[in-house]
Amino acid sequence: MNGLFRTEWRAVGTTCAATVTAASNGEVDAHAALAAAREEVTACEQELSRFDRASDLSRLNAADGGWTPVGRRLFEVLRLALRAREDTGGRFDPTVLPALAAAGYDRSFELLEERQPRQVEGWRAGAVIELDEQQGRARLEPGAAVDLGGIGKGYAAGRALDAMRATSPRLVGGLVDLGGDIAVFGDSPEGGPWLIAVADPRRSGETLAALNLHDGGIATSGRDARRFGPGRSLHHLIDPETGEPALAGPLTVTVVALDAAAAEVNATTLAIAGLGEAEEHVAARPSISALYVPQAGPAVPIGRLPVAAPRLVVRAA
Amino acid sequence: MQRIWVVVLSVWAMLAIVAVLAWSSHSPAPLPAASSQTVVVKGPGGKQRVVVLKAPAHATTATSAMARP
Repeated sequence: MNGLFRTEWRAVGTTCAATVTAASNGEVDAHAALAAAREEVTACEQELSRFDRASDLSRLNAADGGWTPVGRRLFEVLRLALRAREDTGGRFDPTVLPALAAAGYDRSFELLEERQPRQVEGWRAGAVIELDEQQGRARLEPGAAVDLGGIGKGYAAGRALDAMRATSPRLVGGLVDLGGDIAVFGDSPEGGPWLIAVADPRRSGETLAALNLHDGGIATSGRDARRFGPGRSLHHLIDPETGEPALAGPLTVTVVALDAAAAEVNATTLAIAGLGEAEEHVAARPSISALYVPQAGPAVPIGRLPVAAPRLVVRAA
Repeated sequence: MQRIWVVVLSVWAMLAIVAVLAWSSHSPAPLPAASSQTVVVKGPGGKQRVVVLKAPAHATTATSAMARP
């Protein structure tokens, strides 16, 4: 018989949780795995946070065009982000930070002050990021800056899951949840897939759907949270084309993908897309599916969304 | 007994009308209720009861929120 082991903590600006399914005699393995997940998330935050002045990312952003030695996590996530920018034709862009800061999101969210947004003069997306794998260093074009808000937590969730598996190979299953960016593998403690609820953005505390997942990632992006500026009228989803908070897009969109980083990248991309564009995006990528919640009207499942069917249990009294 | 049959048939007729209306409108397919679980319990004498339980999800995805205190 399998057991459930779980830990919850605060990191990366949100609430994090790791859960494992382990054999009933696998308590030591389970606790080792949970500790490994926490350590990995801490390590990711130390390299990837733009709010920590000592992080590798902050040093890279401050280098003003100079080569900067970076850790393997930042190097890897920059490579993934560049690939995502290419794959999405620039709809996902990790170099929107100057525009995001100009809009007002220039410090950790809980420290934001209400102030008028300003525009970035001569805004141009797609700033150059160079990677030197041999020497483990990176360089941005002068004036550019990177924000990993659309990929970092998904990447860290995936890394934490890998760390659990590497530490305790006999685990039956595992789940890492970094504020709604979720990575899973294997079986849930009850057996079968993990059951992931999708929060209803219009009704606090309610769920919109439940999704089944054995291996992969789920992430949600939207303009229903993290609002700021005058009257909380602004949101953090920058349209790379305009350099301003996007006008088009859903209230929220949830994406299921092969891993959590891919889920977060695609959720960020679809969060500034109209429904038609979102349907085309998913149709061109068979490995993802989405639940698109428009700003008005019912939620629209796109692609092969693994919606959990209600389970039927027959018990003899 | 006859009354019971009338009630049963009326309910079925109403369900059929609702089904036709739902089918004819092209709204997106409704999603199954989140994390619901149906339990059919057989009581004494083989009598069945249907109970819908809420099965808790293992995690919830949402737009990344602030840390809970």
